[in-house]
Amino acid sequence: MVVTLHRENSLVRFLRWAYAGVDRTIFMALKFTFPARFVSPLGFLGMLTFVIFIILGITGALLMLWYEPILDRAWDSVQNINDTIPYGFHIRNIHYHASNAMVMMAILHMYYQYFSGRYKIRNEILWVTGVILGVLTILEAFTGYDIIFSERAELAISIAASLTNSIPILGPQMRDAFFGSGFHDFVLRFYAFHVFLLPIAMLGLMVVHFPRFLVFDVPMVMAITGAIMLTGGVFPVEMGLKFDPNVPPGITVPEWYLTGLYAFLRTQYDKFVTGVAWPGLFIFSLLVIPFVDKYKKFSWKDRPLITAVGITSLAQIIVTTYWGFYIDPNRTKSLLERLVIDPIFFYIVMLLLVPLSFGFTYMMIKLAKNAEANAKLQPRKPGGKTAINFPKRWIYIVFVVLLVFQVYLNISAYYAVLNGMKNYSLFIVGIIMLVFAGMFHIYRHGAAMARAPPPKPITPPTTAKPIPSAPKAAPPVPKPTTAEPLTAPPVQKAASGAQAASKTSRTAATTPTTGASALSNSKSGDATNVLEERSSTELRKK
Amino acid sequence: MTQQAPPGSGGKVSRRDFLKLMAAAGTVMTFTPFVDWGKFLPNPAGNISERAKVELPNGSQANVKTFQVNHSEAIIYPRADDPSLNTEAFRTWQFIRLPEELGGNKNDASAFRVYSMVCLHLWCLWKYWPEEGRKRGECPCHGSMYDPLTGMAFAGPASLQSPPSNVLPVLDLEVDNDGNIWIKPPNWSVNGNGIVGFGRYIT
Repeated sequence: MVVTLHRENSLVRFLRWAYAGVDRTIFMALKFTFPARFVSPLGFLGMLTFVIFIILGITGALLMLWYEPILDRAWDSVQNINDTIPYGFHIRNIHYHASNAMVMMAILHMYYQYFSGRYKIRNEILWVTGVILGVLTILEAFTGYDIIFSERAELAISIAASLTNSIPILGPQMRDAFFGSGFHDFVLRFYAFHVFLLPIAMLGLMVVHFPRFLVFDVPMVMAITGAIMLTGGVFPVEMGLKFDPNVPPGITVPEWYLTGLYAFLRTQYDKFVTGVAWPGLFIFSLLVIPFVDKYKKFSWKDRPLITAVGITSLAQIIVTTYWGFYIDPNRTKSLLERLVIDPIFFYIVMLLLVPLSFGFTYMMIKLAKNAEANAKLQPRKPGGKTAINFPKRWIYIVFVVLLVFQVYLNISAYYAVLNGMKNYSLFIVGIIMLVFAGMFHIYRHGAAMARAPPPKPITPPTTAKPIPSAPKAAPPVPKPTTAEPLTAPPVQKAASGAQAASKTSRTAATTPTTGASALSNSKSGDATNVLEERSSTELRKK
Repeated sequence: MTQQAPPGSGGKVSRRDFLKLMAAAGTVMTFTPFVDWGKFLPNPAGNISERAKVELPNGSQANVKTFQVNHSEAIIYPRADDPSLNTEAFRTWQFIRLPEELGGNKNDASAFRVYSMVCLHLWCLWKYWPEEGRKRGECPCHGSMYDPLTGMAFAGPASLQSPPSNVLPVLDLEVDNDGNIWIKPPNWSVNGNGIVGFGRYIT
């Protein structure tokens, strides 16, 4: 009896039937791509954010089984999850680090789309819903770390409540409506927001945020998951101290995505202005960017003002984020002196960052354009399709080695759990995920190699195209300086030059050529190089 | 094709527009009652229409004849049936009889103050210190200090906050013929008794 994976058994038939049935659903409108080779994750950071959202949903649902959103039990129930529930530590750490990863991914995703100009060409709705989704993501993460009800959570809740209260006219009503009154209400309501209201709002927004073309890259998804677990193993999240209103809290700072806001609050300037108006202005300017950006081109190099604004926002985010963390280590000073940031100094730095960022952007664009021009001068390197070129046999060997490594890791993860080394086992599970990502990539690489057409025979077919023959014999191309006007962009000029070259070579093809046709490929390559040189010389003349 | 001239609009509304107007009005009327349903959101525990006893930790009602001058107790208001809710900071108030020099000798409501114990800075619980030279409310966390006469922060981070976040919420008191002290129904707004954890404007 021959065992083969290609046989059509009933399971395969069932799956085919189910897949055909999906044809009637909305999912067919989405074009899912499973890349057959490595592609840059920058293009599908949004998908990765969504995958992390799903991870958060699963781990969060599991945590709901044990967490109690009650004033005097919230912290203890988290401690119970962390210390006594089997694998509770793992689930909690994955949930926590995934929340950080999701915020980070969302920010990276946004800035990549920003600098690559993808919010244009009728993608404005995607951009606007994306910005709202980003705000909700941060609110979701914020409510999450508040419902532990540790000291830090209490400080965060008090700041959130007082900021809401500081909104003119409607503030107090809004606080009463959203937060209720008293810690009992705060914890319970933040829980309701965290596990249901915000996620359902996010899911709804995702319906109008997803583009129709989606990339699901299995190795990258597994690598991100592994990285989250690995981080959880190395930096397990702490419990913090249980909140007690009679005990002075230590110095705590919020999570990293809110320290920027915290730095503004620490200037002790008016709460509404620093805590609501400034971030509101920031979010608003992000929302309107697609309608302000009137450049016709996409690349950041061709949109200097928009790029400069983006760089400024990045610089301010980085500086305020760090500043929010920084607390004067001098313990002889009073707590207040250590915490309060001088508003004049702070706002001067914020203002100074604007010209600095604009100058930096100007310099970067100059450098990038120079590099572009220089790259055109250099002859293009041959090949460069893939970085690694394993022989087939080595693919098998690496695969088997990784499989053995997986077995070893599984055993060590199991023993780590047996010995109560929770964070070590989480670390190892993270490595297992990363190794899986590597295995999948190698499998994909091998499969692509097997599918690839056999290498072209060195002897070309006899019915060769007339273009590549004997450019040497051709009459020289017309000099660009004399005839052509310099208004057309160099790319077009190169194309027109190529046309001219092909014409000349066609005329040359009628004349008998002596060169062996095997050489023709390399010669045509030379010809393109010549053309490129031409266009770059034109660039320099410009 | 000739365009039809618009009908002479002598203040007349076309039948179609009238229908649209009616439909819009109907939609508004349909959803109007739900505006009031917004009251579902705030916690109604603060809506108190009757006066309440000032209940001291030993269970007795505070009385002007027995309560010492320059002395304070933590009281719970409003008192809930659930004991764990009564431990909450937001229901904890400082009941103070002012020192002599601030008029604490009088046997009427003016000798007493009730302030929310939730510090306006970051919600620790402050308390009144009756010692000579202090006689003020102090927060153990970041050192905010409160004037017992008005509830206004005069030192520490809470004093740097802009109004209304520098004055403690207060409860109004009344004394009956037996000298028992009662808390009058509060008005939880920044212009009334204040908002716990946020403050009030001094009137």
